[in-house]
Formats: sequence, structure tokens, C-alpha cells
Amino acid sequence: MTWVTPWAPDRSELDSCVTCGLCLPFCPTFRLTGDETASPRGRITAMAAVGAGEAEMDERFFEMMAFCLQCRACEAVCPSMVPYGKLQEGVRAEILAADPKPARIARRMVLGRGLASRPAVHVASLGIAAAQRLGATRLLPGAVGRMASGMRTVPLPVPSTLGRSWRPDGEPVGIVGLLSGCVMDPWFADVHEALVQILRTAGYVVEAPGAQVCCGALAAHDGAAYDAARMAAANVEAFARYDTVVVDSAGCGAHLKDYGHWTEGGDDLAARVRDATEFVAHLIDEGALPTFPPGRGRVAVQDPCHLRHAQRIVAEPRTVLAAAGYEPVEIDEQALCCGAAGVYGLSYPETSDELGRRKADQVMAVDVSIVASANPGCELQMRGHLGPDIRVAHPVELYWEALSGS
Amino acid sequence: MLRPMDLIAALEGVVGSDRVRAHPLDRRVFAKDAGVKDGPVAAVVFPESAEETAGCVRVARAAGVPVVPRGAGTGLAGGAVPIEPSVMVVMTRMNRIVEVDEQSRTAWVGPGVINLDLSRDLASTGLHFAPDPSSQQSCTIGGNVGTNAGGPHCLAEGTTVAHILAVEMVTADGDIVIVGGDHPDPVGLDLRAVVVGSEGTMGVTTRVLVKLTENPPAVRTLLIGFATVEDAAATVSEVIASGLVPAALEMMDRAMVRAVENYVHAGYPTDAAAVLLAEVAGHAVGVDAEADMIARIAADNDATMVRLAQNDAERALLWKGRKSAFGAIAQSAPDYYLHDTVVPRTRLVEVLSQIYEIGERYGIALLNVFHAGDGNLHPLVSFDAAVPGELDRVMAAATEMVRVSIEAGGSLSGEHGIGMEKRDLMGLVFGPDDLDAQARLREAFDPDGVLNPGKILPEGSRCFDRAPTIGAAP
Ligand SMILES: Cc1cc2nc3c(=O)[nH]c(=O)nc-3n(C[C@H](O)[C@H](O)[C@H](O)COP(=O)(O)OP(=O)(O)OC[C@H]3O[C@@H](n4cnc5c(N)ncnc54)[C@H](O)[C@@H]3O)c2cc1C
Ligand code: SF4
Ligand code: SF4
Repeated sequence: MTWVTPWAPDRSELDSCVTCGLCLPFCPTFRLTGDETASPRGRITAMAAVGAGEAEMDERFFEMMAFCLQCRACEAVCPSMVPYGKLQEGVRAEILAADPKPARIARRMVLGRGLASRPAVHVASLGIAAAQRLGATRLLPGAVGRMASGMRTVPLPVPSTLGRSWRPDGEPVGIVGLLSGCVMDPWFADVHEALVQILRTAGYVVEAPGAQVCCGALAAHDGAAYDAARMAAANVEAFARYDTVVVDSAGCGAHLKDYGHWTEGGDDLAARVRDATEFVAHLIDEGALPTFPPGRGRVAVQDPCHLRHAQRIVAEPRTVLAAAGYEPVEIDEQALCCGAAGVYGLSYPETSDELGRRKADQVMAVDVSIVASANPGCELQMRGHLGPDIRVAHPVELYWEALSGS
Repeated sequence: MLRPMDLIAALEGVVGSDRVRAHPLDRRVFAKDAGVKDGPVAAVVFPESAEETAGCVRVARAAGVPVVPRGAGTGLAGGAVPIEPSVMVVMTRMNRIVEVDEQSRTAWVGPGVINLDLSRDLASTGLHFAPDPSSQQSCTIGGNVGTNAGGPHCLAEGTTVAHILAVEMVTADGDIVIVGGDHPDPVGLDLRAVVVGSEGTMGVTTRVLVKLTENPPAVRTLLIGFATVEDAAATVSEVIASGLVPAALEMMDRAMVRAVENYVHAGYPTDAAAVLLAEVAGHAVGVDAEADMIARIAADNDATMVRLAQNDAERALLWKGRKSAFGAIAQSAPDYYLHDTVVPRTRLVEVLSQIYEIGERYGIALLNVFHAGDGNLHPLVSFDAAVPGELDRVMAAATEMVRVSIEAGGSLSGEHGIGMEKRDLMGLVFGPDDLDAQARLREAFDPDGVLNPGKILPEGSRCFDRAPTIGAAP
């Protein structure tokens, strides 16, 4: 038996791939290379071969797996419903356990785990805030510099929602938990603010429980499975008392909705999680939030993979934008990954850049001045590739502007 | 004869080292298509031009290693699966639409262009490539040419061969030749029909001149449910007998409908014994009348539901269901074996009941989906190949199913090709003379068996069996 961790790819789940190949064209790495080994079907075949002890768990295998963006586009189109995201997370856990750790994955780990540590993020945020004020982000090396160039200006002092709560003006209709998130909190404070104010307007008490931790998505994607499981367990407890938990980062939301296979009680929390666009669209549909007349202009919709492919949320961001008075504009029928993919850019900068460029070209082609994206990583990538002339914003920010009359 | 290491080095000399693979895991991943069998791979190479392809063929030939062309690997008959250690020549990187001539409605395209990408790219011109296999989102034009692919809409439009004007290919000698031309009826021997459907045994396709078809101005799609398979089959026969030529006429049985509906949620009736998906295309007035007529015939045959798709989104969802059929069955077991036979429409019900009977006798799970309009049956068996003896049982049942189809006056393959899977069944339809003639034709193209050997024709097809001039690589 090759596998050694409890997260190992499950044989029956691997077997549920009938090798039909219907997923191939939806896979960004297959699209770029035309190479079966860079396709979902090829990766599943490789996992199955290694799992069965028929192939070595060697560098080549590591590379085949690491090249995967974990965008889960393949999962959304698979008629056999192969749980690809889970299999890939499982295999990363095995790769990490197998040692020697390939340098590539180790490098990602630094970032993946670093983000999960609050003090580390805080120090980094201070550094970035200082660098932005000195105009020094341009000097940051390579991929880090590219990411930094797509960042919003980090406010000082570095903000945090942790442990805070907000009440509506009138009698509350309910209470929701807010996932603060590791980078959303310091780097995307405006998104949290917009979401909180929208929910207050709809009559909700919003609480960001202080006991919550990073969702663990990046740890899980990088194979730090034990860390991911620990974080999941902490969050299950921290959010136990909320009937609804709202998340404004698609990547985090997708991961919370997968807690079922990370920790006991995970299914229960997963069932209560709502993406911000999902919850706000629901309130709009119910009439709890108003719809504004059209006329604000056109907005290109960038579908984050972990919103569209993992959570299968497609209509909701459009509903929110339309209710805010915008005309949502489609840019990509297949919703191919923008190349951000967490911290993928650090391991495969060329692939990440190529996908980012393609996505930026799609935006340019529809001639808009705003792009809506419901995920922080995609936002950085889009801004990094589009430059300062096109605004990139979360759909709920645009809705809040309409709601607050700004 | 080159040694394995030299073969790799020589291939690298042609395309560069980043487009040649020989690591065991790469060889493993390329060992299989969408069918059930795998085979031994010596090396994998990704040419980007006809010249590079020719170079690869020459190197393989010199090394005494056969060449197996591969597109997207969605083939179901093992056409792209080697039977002896071979060089897999993967054509996916030659995926450029080289030139579109809207006036004459033709396009030169690379063999690696994905079928649906071509039609999507052409959207603004109002043209499309008519053959639409259910795998069209993934399969390549080169693979379509290789297998003479069909699809739901080939009922009215004909299979791939009717849409190919010319094929540029690399011969077994490594020469680049063009078969056919931009004229629909070329002077002299028309070899296109020989090359189309030859499954990579006569040349490696490097460029294709395809015929483009005008998008119909109006389309109507009907979903019809029946309480019995007989009612559905009778409807099919009457529709065809009425003189109507629907753009597509597809049938699925209950087991299939349930698997599909579970995935697409398109509103397929899961309680019906059989479901028909009928489509008519043409001018607005005409299609409404035709849709009415089909609905009436269905009602006369006791249809339990008739639903007209109200818009493009609904239509697309219905087709997505139909086109996911093969993939969706894995919900019931990890492997599938898909049959592909043709029976005369008039004997559809009879052959079907025999097929159900065979399934029952062998105790295998059977789901049915087919191009009812032209009697192309696709019984699907879902099974677990990891269970010892299971594959043999499925294959034995398959052989019986093919046999009853042929005995009813049908044929061996509707569209997926013969490959290696049905190779040994060729004797059911062809006598020794026919097989000999086919073997001679193939020898004329590839006397030394360099190109995809062991496919289509069973061993011993040639009346005086020749000694193999090409050996397996050590
Ligand atoms: C879910 C599903 C649904 C399907 N539905 C249909 C259907 O409705 N109708 C239908 O006809 N088929 C169908 N198929 C079968 C398959 O998709 C077709 O046979 C398709 O034409 C294969 O294309 P490919 O690019 O995947 O070729 P491959 O599988 O890679 O190759 C197929 C054959 O063509 C040869 N070949 C490929 N490229 C070249 C080239 N450039 N030069 C020379 N030879 C080449 C190969 O050697 C092989 O013999 C289906 C398959 C699946 C998995
Ligand atoms: S679509 Fe699903 S079953 Fe088909 S090859 Fe891809 S992962 Fe496997
Ligand atoms: S997760 Fe994305 S990159 Fe990875 S195999 Fe699936 S489609 Fe390809």
C-alpha cells in the first residue's frame, strides 16, 4: 500500500472516473499544453497507478500533481461526478508525507501556512502597507511583486473584524456569523465593510466570532492536511451557534462547504455556509433588500473557480450586480481559471501569467471599466494584469454603493 | 534498428526534448483511450507541424517501432491504444484553425482542433462543422476523420466523411501528401473515403479541409416520454416513414434517463420506459409544422409526455443530458463498455428485446442510448473491471449482442470504429475475400505495418499471411 495518510485518494472515488475525457477541454493546464498528463483524466490515472503500487511516487508524479491549479473545473463538468478536488487534496497530503518534499511544494507551503498564522499575516500586512506608501511594491521580486501590484492599499492601522459585532438600526430579523478570513481581514477590509452594512440594512446582527481561525483552504490545497483538519475543527466550534455563516471569499466558502471530509461535525457547518453573493442574492429575491433601476453601466463578471466550479454558484453574482443597477457582461463561457489559484503563481509563474493575460484580454474585449470578482486571489490577479485603469471590485461592494447612494 | 534510448534521442532531434516523453508514468497515462483496454507505449511525442510529424514517423520507422496517432483519446474502440510498444504521436498541439473561406464554406484546420471549438469559433460566420459526436466538446477533428465519427445530427447531415474535402497526411514512408482537394468530386480515384475512417492506419492526418454547414435559421427540440420501448420505436418508424427528416432523433431507456437526469436536472421524465429527443431544423414556419407532426405521431403512439423546449437554454440542457449519457453511467459502476451496432429500424424493437435478454442472462447492468433515427444502437454495460473475470463476461455478452444485430441485417459499427475491440468480429460481416481485399488496400498505403498495426483487420486477413517485417521494440 502506497498511501500512508487518512486523506489518501479513495480507490472507489478514483474508479468513478470512466476515462470518458469529457472534462479535458475545461482543464486550463490541458488547454495550454494539449498534454494528457496535464489533464484531469491523466492525473486521476496517475493517482490510481501510484495508489495501486503500479507506478512510482517520484518527482514526475509530484510535478504532474503540482501543475494542477485545483480550480475544479473538471469536477463541475464530470458526468460521473468524480470528486476531483478532494482527490487532489488527498494526494497532496500524501506527497507531503512521502518526503523528500519537492522544493516547489515546500515553497508554497511557506506561503500556505504563513497565511494561516495571524501574527505572520499581520507582520506581512504592515510590511506591505509600508512598501505601498513608499512606492516600493514595484521593487518586490518576481511573483511576489506581481501579486503585490494587484493589491488594494492596506489601511493603517491594519484592520480586523475579529471579535466584533454589528447590530441593525431596527429590530433584528436574525443573526449571521462572518468568516473574517486570513487575508480578507487586513487586505480587503472594504469588502467586509460593504457586506456587514448590507446585512445590517436587511436587519441582521453580524458577528465575527473571535475564536475563529483561517479556514484552512490553502493548507488543504498544499497538502498540509493535519493543519487543515485542525483549523476546520476550530471553526466548527467557533461557528456552532450561527444558523448562517456568510463568507465573502469564494475560495474560503468552497472550502468550508467541504468541511464534511475534514472534521467531525464539518457537514453540519458546511450546510450553514453561504457565499456573500448567494446570501445577498437570496435577500434581494425575497424582497428583504431593494432592487435599483438599471443605468449604472456595464460590469464584466469574472467567475472565480471556487465559486462557479466548486460551489456551482453562477446566477447569484449576476443577480446582485443587476439589482445594483449594473448590466452584467459575460466574458468567458467556459470560465477558465484566471491563473491566480491561491499561490500557484509562486510555483508556476509562467502558466499563471499566461492564464491571467488571457482573462485580462477577455475583459478588454468587452470594453468595460469595472470587473466584478468574488474572490481575493482572482482580484489580485485581475488587477495585476489589467492595471489601474479598470476597477476590480467584489459584487457586494458594488451593491453597497447603490444601497448607500454613493 | 535503434535502441530505445536512441529512439528517444532521435525523436528529440526532431521536436526538441520538451516534447518527447518516455518516463514510465507518461507512458502509462497515454496507454489508454476512453475504452476499456490499455497497451504498451514506447514514447510519446507532440509534433507541431506536418514536417515534424513526418520526422517522427521516419524516426519510428527506422527504429522498427510502430506509430499510433492520437487525438484527444476519446475513442471507444481502442483505436489509439497500441498493441505493441509504439510511439504515440499526439496531435493535440496542432490545433490551429488555419484558414476559413466563408465564401466557399470551407476551412483548413489542424487535426488537433477540438470539434466544438471549431463550431464555436465560427459562430460569427453563421457556419458550423456538422458532425457532432456526443464527445464533441473534447474530441479532435483528426480523431473524427480517423473514426468517421457520427453524431445525433448526422441523421440529416451524414457522418464525417460527407464533410471532408481533403486530408493532408504523413504516409508510412514519412512523406507529406494531400488526398482529395477543394473540389467535391475530384478527378480520378477518390481516396478520401478510404482515408476517412481508417483509424490512423493509412497516414497521420496533419491538416484537414472541412466542409462547413450553414446554421439553420430555426430549430425545435421535443422531449417525448413513453410507457414502453415499443411505443417509442413505433414513433421513430412512423416519423421516418412520414418522409420527415428530423435533424436528430435520439432514444434513451429508463436506466439511462435516470443516470442522466441525476446529473443534468433537465427535467427528463424518470418514470418513462423510453424517452425520445427529436429535433427539427430549417425555416421557422416549416419547423413548427414538423414539430407538430412529430408530436402528433407520438401522441398517436400513446406518448405519456411531450415537451417542446421553450428557448435555447432549455434546448442546450436537454442536449447536455443526452451528450453526457456515456459519462453519467459511472454513477452505477466504475467501468463501462459501450456497444455500437446498427440495426434496420424496422427490427429495432425485436433486437432491443434480444439485447435486454442477453444482458439478463449474463447478469450485467445494461443501459441503452441510441441514435434511433438511423438505428445506431449503443447498449452500455456498466461493470467493475477490477472484479476478476468481469471483463471477459462483458465481452462475451458484447459479442452476442453484436451477433444478434448482424443477424437482424445490421452492421458492426455505427460510428465508433473497429479499432482492436471489434477487430476479431470483422469475420461476422466480411468473408475471406472481402477481408483480403481490405488488407491489400491497406498494404498499398503501409506495406510494412508502421501505422497503427493490428487495428481494424483481424490477424490473418491477408490470404497468404505475411511475415511481419516490423518487430516489437526490445
Ligand atoms: C462520452 C463519449 C461520447 C461519444 N460519442 C460519440 C458519438 O456520438 N459518435 C461517434 O462517432 N463517436 C463518439 N465517441 C467516440 C469518439 O469520441 C470518437 O471516435 C472521436 O472521433 C474520437 O476523437 P479523438 O480525437 O478522441 O481521437 P482518438 O480517440 O485519439 O483516436 C481515434 C482514432 O483516430 C486515430 N487518429 C486520431 N488522430 C489522428 C490523426 N491526426 N491522424 C490519424 N489518425 C488519427 C487514432 O489512431 C484512433 O484510431 C464518443 C466517445 C465518448 C467518450
Ligand atoms: S469527465 Fe469525469 S469520468 Fe470523464 S474522464 Fe473526466 S474525471 Fe473521468
Ligand atoms: S482542478 Fe483544474 S487544473 Fe486541476 S485537473 Fe481539474 S481542471 Fe485541470
